[in-house]
Amino acid sequence: MATNLHPGANGTANDDFTVKAGLAQMLKGGVIMDVTTAAEARIAEEAGAVAVMALERIPSDIRKMGGVARMSNPEMIQEIQKAVTIPVMAKARIGHVVECQILEALDVDYIDESEVLTPADDQFHVAKSDFKIPFVCGCRNLGEALRRIKEGAAMIRTKGEAGTGDIVEAVKHIRTVNAEIAQAKAALAAGGDLGIAALAREIGCDVALLKQTAELGRLPVVNFAAGGVATPADAALMMHFGCDGVFVGSGIFKDAETPEHALRRARAIVKATTQYTDKKALIEASIEHGEAMRGISNAGLKPEEKMAGRGW
Amino acid sequence: MTKPITITVGVLALQGGVVEHLNLLRKAASHVQSSPPESTADNLQFTFTEVRTAPQLAQCDALIIPGGESTTMAIVARRLGLLDPLREFVKVQHKPVWGTCAGLVMLAEQAAATKQGGQELIGGLGVKVLRNRYGTQMQSFVAGLDLGFLGPGQEPFRAVFIRAPVVEAVIGEDGAAGSGVEGGKGAPVEVLGVYYRGEGQQQQEAGTGKGDIVAVRQGNVFGTSFHPELTDDVRIHVWWLRQVVDSLRHGKLVVNGA
Repeated sequence: MATNLHPGANGTANDDFTVKAGLAQMLKGGVIMDVTTAAEARIAEEAGAVAVMALERIPSDIRKMGGVARMSNPEMIQEIQKAVTIPVMAKARIGHVVECQILEALDVDYIDESEVLTPADDQFHVAKSDFKIPFVCGCRNLGEALRRIKEGAAMIRTKGEAGTGDIVEAVKHIRTVNAEIAQAKAALAAGGDLGIAALAREIGCDVALLKQTAELGRLPVVNFAAGGVATPADAALMMHFGCDGVFVGSGIFKDAETPEHALRRARAIVKATTQYTDKKALIEASIEHGEAMRGISNAGLKPEEKMAGRGW
Repeated sequence: MTKPITITVGVLALQGGVVEHLNLLRKAASHVQSSPPESTADNLQFTFTEVRTAPQLAQCDALIIPGGESTTMAIVARRLGLLDPLREFVKVQHKPVWGTCAGLVMLAEQAAATKQGGQELIGGLGVKVLRNRYGTQMQSFVAGLDLGFLGPGQEPFRAVFIRAPVVEAVIGEDGAAGSGVEGGKGAPVEVLGVYYRGEGQQQQEAGTGKGDIVAVRQGNVFGTSFHPELTDDVRIHVWWLRQVVDSLRHGKLVVNGA
């Protein structure tokens, strides 16, 4: 991971981005868990989560309840902030500048401008460089990732299909990102700056960021997996594909019979993520995890039921 | 004098900023090789490696504990059966260790503002750290630090503080919990870096005033609140590698500096 990675030209902008991207670098190799109460946040912290995502409903319940999904109640976020010492993230709707301002004023550690909530703007994402607080955003491909980074995102996650417990979309998205990074490297090798410029036009992204990606051979910021991780094996699979860490949304608390069951699941997913190449650890984690959330097959979803298509 | 020595330096790779340290260590190694510490063998070789198991740790002459989430690292280390081997490495074998941010927390004898129920530590530094001293990520920052140990006339170090801990108190030699092995007890806790908030910090001297202690050493254990591995500045890595070389060369602790 290179350390000097950002669009900012002067020293101060560089320092700001170093601090924003630096926190994500410190989360690498870890699991970030969706939690809806202070008690769930404590379970996540005890299990070894590197951060929690505070939200009112886990994605699978957002899916079930329908309606408009918005930023969580600040009171609930504050209770979670009081309960744990690890970083607390929270979600804002795509393009909802004021929800972001509220979350920044709440002193959360990271904002997820997330397609899991109902988008507030059908044209623009938030101008994230304008904020002091760092942002993570979802992507399905390299162009989308670099557009978000150009807007100021300091961390990326693949979108997957949240709330399904079906890993297939998360796999598709990281595979696409990896293939396009390989394409960028080839374009740089074969065509130099002109090759990069042509590819940047094709996938719709900033030329300098694409060149940086080609040189690094990876995204210029930390990239976690998200959307459909339901088991320890799913988490290890995403690490196997080169993700820097894993977001687990519904997979910990959905259909968990007791808090102890949720704690076992959470521990098992942390174990599988941190020891993803250790087969013995993966067996133990799979046993400890027990029955997974029931899930919804991605193949059975109608296009309008998919969240990953939100944003561009 | 000229016999080749190979030094194996590990980076604890349970979680966090591992690659960043490895990258800077590799850069630092070429500096140290091109101008080795005095009276050191010409033929200085370094091996840098990720450490996840006790056998991997046993191969190391020195170790970096990187930044990350200290609660997570402690839980994972416990599960992997690494806490006792790490304590042995630091407090019995007295091999050189450097912790950055979460690594500093792990190396402290005591920590405040931990999660409910506390967290397990490795220890080795006779200090009490305060986690998240400055608050949340919104209070994270970069500041120029004057670090005298880098030598005279050096530019300030652009230190990156991310939800950083600081040393709240030096517990002292007796609190250092040296295991009785020679050189463990008795090594003083040295304050090597202080951050003064607000104006005029450059004029202050370390150890005076009301600044925050952000770099400390006790014997072979070194800790920083900030993240040199998030910069391109190789100076602290070079300094620490030289300390490691000296320590191994002399086969004993470097108590009062090189």
